[in-house]
This record gives sequence, C-alpha cells and structure tokens, in this order.
Amino acid sequence: MNMGKEIWNLLRKDLMLELRMGYALSGILLYVFSTVFIVFASFIQLPNTVWNILFWVVLLFASVNAIVKSFVQESGNRQLYYYSLVNPVSVLLAKMAYNVGLLFLISLLIWAGLAFVGGNPVRDPELFLLAMFLGSSGFAITFTFVSAISAKADHNSTLLAIMSFPLVIPILMTLVKLSANALGLMNDTGLQKDIILLCAMDGLLLGAALILFPFLWTD
Amino acid sequence: MTNLFQRSVFLFFLLLSASCLSAQTNDPDFMQSVGKIYVAVGVILAIFAVIVLFLIYLDRKLTKLENQIKDHE
Amino acid sequence: MVYQTWWKALGVVLLVYTFIAGLLIPLKPGISSVHPSNAATGEEVVLEINGYNTLFTRSGEEVRAWLKMDDAYALGASGVEIVDDQHIRARFYIPAFLPDSGRVRDFTLLLDDPFNGACVLPSAVFITQDSIDPAMGKAQWVNAPIKGLHANDGLSFPFRNILKESIRNTYFHVPLWFAMVFLFLFSVGYSVRYLRTGTHDNDRRAHALAVGGVLFGMMGLVTGAIWAKNTWGAYWSWDVKQNMTAIALLIYFAYFILRGSFEDPEKRARLAAVYNLFAFVALIPLIYVIPRLTDSLHPGSGGNPAFGSDDLDNTMRMVFYPAILGWTLLGFWIASVVYRMERLRDRVLEFY
Repeated sequence: MNMGKEIWNLLRKDLMLELRMGYALSGILLYVFSTVFIVFASFIQLPNTVWNILFWVVLLFASVNAIVKSFVQESGNRQLYYYSLVNPVSVLLAKMAYNVGLLFLISLLIWAGLAFVGGNPVRDPELFLLAMFLGSSGFAITFTFVSAISAKADHNSTLLAIMSFPLVIPILMTLVKLSANALGLMNDTGLQKDIILLCAMDGLLLGAALILFPFLWTD
Repeated sequence: MTNLFQRSVFLFFLLLSASCLSAQTNDPDFMQSVGKIYVAVGVILAIFAVIVLFLIYLDRKLTKLENQIKDHE
Repeated sequence: MVYQTWWKALGVVLLVYTFIAGLLIPLKPGISSVHPSNAATGEEVVLEINGYNTLFTRSGEEVRAWLKMDDAYALGASGVEIVDDQHIRARFYIPAFLPDSGRVRDFTLLLDDPFNGACVLPSAVFITQDSIDPAMGKAQWVNAPIKGLHANDGLSFPFRNILKESIRNTYFHVPLWFAMVFLFLFSVGYSVRYLRTGTHDNDRRAHALAVGGVLFGMMGLVTGAIWAKNTWGAYWSWDVKQNMTAIALLIYFAYFILRGSFEDPEKRARLAAVYNLFAFVALIPLIYVIPRLTDSLHPGSGGNPAFGSDDLDNTMRMVFYPAILGWTLLGFWIASVVYRMERLRDRVLEFY
C-alpha cells in the first residue's frame, strides 16, 4: 500500500470517527460562539486592533481544545494495531492534514462569528484567508506533534498548553502583523518577507515533526 | 509530583527575590549618580543573588539525596 | 571532561580577569553635561561644561573647543577658561545666520587637549535662528577646521553619554546571553545523541545543560532588566531579544515539567529529547530571522542579530571575548555539577 493511499484512508477514518461522535465538533462550535458572545458582551464596541488580536487568541485556545484529543483517544491497543499496519509518518501526516482542515474551518467560523456580531473590518480578504491558512497549518503542525508527546503523560491537556504556547509565539507574532495588514491597520511594504517567513516556519516545524515522530512511536 | 511542585515553588521564589532585588535598586537618583556605576553594581549583585539561590537549590537536593542514602544504610 | 579541572580553572581565571579589568579600567574622559543647551543666533554664549573623568588643570591651558554642525562647518571657541578638573567655560560667538535651512539645528560639542584627548558630546547645543538664510550663513561663517586632535593613550573604555559607567555591563550581562545559547545548543546536541544512541547518560547531560542554560537565561533577564531600567527607562521594553530569552525560558520550564510527569526513565528521556529538539527548531526563526526583520533597542539591531562592530573598541574586545569564554565555562561547570548530582541520584534509585 503506498503512502498517499495510507494517509487518505487514515484521514477518512479520523473524519468518520469525528462525525460519528458528533459531540466533539459541536463542542468546539459551542466554544467558538460562546467566546465570541462573551467578547462582544464585554466590549460592545470593538476597536479593529483588538479585533485583530482577539481573533488569533480565540483561534489559539480553540485549536488547543480541538487538537488535545487527537492522540489521546488512540488508546494503547489501537496504537499497537496501527503500528503493525501502517507507517508512523503517514499516521502523523493524516492527523496533521485533518487538523489543518479542522482549524481552517474553526478560523472561518470565528471570522464569521466576529463579523456577524461586530461587523467585518477585513479590507483584504485574500490576504486574511492566506494568513488564516498559514496560521492554522502552523498551529496544527505544532499542536498535533506536541499532543503526540503529551498524550504519553498524565494531565495532558495542561501539558499541551504549557508546551506548545511558547512554540507558537513566533508564528503568532508574524500572523498578527500579517492580519493587521489585511485589516488595513498597517501598511507594510515587506509583506512578502512575512509570508515567506511563515511558510518557512511551517515547513521547518513539519520537517522536524516528520523526522522526530518515529522516535515517539516506538513504545 | 511533590518534586515538581517544590521545584515550581522554588522557581517562583527565585524570580520573586530577583525582582525584589531589582525593585530595591529602583531609586533613579541613586542609580544615576557617580556616572551610573551603581547600575553595574546592581547587575553584579543580581548575578550573585541568582547564583546563591541556585546554590541553596543544589544544597537542598543534595541533602535529600544524602538522606536517601542514609535511609538505605 | 566532567572530572577535569583545567577548564574550570580556566573559566575562573578568565572571570577574575573579567572582573578586575572590567571594573578597574577607567572610562575615557568625556563630557557629561553642558549648560545652557539652547542658544540663539547672533549672541555670545558661555557654555558651562562638566567633564567626566577629565583633568582639565593638567591640560596645560591648551583646551580647545568647537561646536560642530557637520563635517564642513564648525565653530571655534573664542575663549576657554578652566575652572577646575571637571569644569570649564567656553565662550562662543554665534553668527547671525546658520548655513542651514532648518529653524533649530543641533550642534556637537568637541573638546580637545593634549592630556585628556578629544571628547565629544553629540547634540549638545541647539541653536535657534530667527531669520533663515543659508546662503548668507555660508558667506558669513568663520570656519574653524577641526585639526590636530589628540588621542588619549591610557588604557580606557569608551565614554558613552547615556551609558557612562554602566558600559561595564557589557562584560556582566551580554556574555550571560552567549553562555545561555551555548548551553542550550549543547543540550540539544546531547538530545540528538540520545535519540541516536539511546544511552541514558546523554539524556542526563542534556537535562543538566538545560538547567544551566535556564539559570543563565534568568540571570540575563534580571541583569538586563536592571540595565534597561536605567538606560531605556523601563524594566521590560518588549524588545525582540528580551522576548526571545523569555520564550526560551518558557520552553525549558515546559521541558522540566514534561520530565517531571513521567516515572519511567526511558520514556521520560525519549520524550524530553524529542521535545527539546522540536522546541529548538521552533526557536530558530526567533533567534536568527525575526531580529533581522524588526527593530530592536539592542545594539547591532536592524538587520544584524549580533553585536555591531561600532559598539566595541579594541580595549573592550580585550575584555569582552575572555568574558564570553569565562561565563560560558562557568555555565558548563554548573551544568557538570548538576549532571553529577543527577547521576548520583539515579544510582541511589537503583538501590531500591
């Protein structure tokens, strides 16, 4: 069985599981909408600078909630079963691909939620979508990999937050800058550089995760 | 788990004492006097304080280790 | 290496040298303040100049003073009166027009004499002109070319007006950061070795080096905060380098917490090594890329993450490079003590 097919099958399996246990996805949905509601109930008038930062902060916490369980639900026996069947790298890639999609969906929801309640300040939707995509892939790669580490320990949800937040700060700082441009708060000439930097960070983290994952898998 | 807890408490106090030290050297007139030499003095004192606190940490860990060896004998 | 003494002794010798040279070598004579700092065109102004580390009475009444606008235009003092070693009065006649189209123009004050050498105070005096006529100013200007400056031959550190004596922190703050980076690099190196060989000893070394690195990172942050408060005005200025150190510390605190949450030493070692490597990869953009893209208050910023060559003179290099090596060796010594203690603890645990 070649790797592409393996990844596709694992991805489909994850999706099926998610859809069958609908509560996980609806939990995240509820989280997004209650956060958006709380934000607007307390701010009422939201300045664009705050909108920009809040968007990413809400996404950050939503992604931790969404990703924390991606390796936890795979109990020991099931992991052993996969181990005998497939390549560990394709397991990781399938999870990451699934999480990138999930986070992109969540960020679209947050955007829709924030725009619905407080108006849409985004001037450059293409750039904002690009930032959202690069951001959700960066978050997904980091969080998926760290959740694979923290799944081996107890108290793994706190551990995931502690271990992954410092790692995404560089990505987050660049994202805030990029989306500030999309909102028209800043007019940066070196935008290309930021996009390349984000792509490079995503690629670097992905490469490191692929190289290191087999070491996590060898239980 | 207790080890982890103690370690975090220790780190907290380490940071707290370090910030106290820098807060004590807060008086701007004093710090700016004699060509700002007290800025250098404060920096050296801060290094000294962190190293002493680290020694206390090492000392406590070694005491624990010695007690374990004693218990074993 | 862990049990050898020579490198620890070398570290101590270098640090003793750093402390002695770094604290005892005096600053070059400089100008600490000028009063008044404002003047108008067409008037005669007497500047009260306060010197720092100067000995004007030994200058043999040969002190010369200039107000320099740019490389082409400088104004010579019509008279210099020495009050005492730290004070002189310089009399300037400012012409009615400046050879410049701005309303207010800053002038650099320059002093020179054979004993103290040349001293500079940038933007010492601001001259306001009521009527602006650059052509007239150029025609009327009595230029006093700055020539024959004396060098101060004594062993000394440069005088910087905002830093003054705190320039000595170059040997007590900056090398801590270098030592931290070296310790973390070696820690990552041992994590790689652990993953390749599976020898438990490599993991212990990686952990001990991380402890040393965190210690140096904390010292760097505290000393940096004290220095920053007294030069930039705030303990924390959200500078890239401060952020980077803080994030590195957060990562290694998480690393320690991760280690603390496993009972099985093999599992702990493996997961900690994987996290250490992954975190290092995540830190790379923070160390090498982002400082090049953003501005920093630290010297050598704006395109260069390292120390700029303008910030160090040769005397400072003579102390700065040994200081880096000395502090780094001290860090490795601390890490080796932690390593030995951890090894002892593992051996004690084997008894049970």
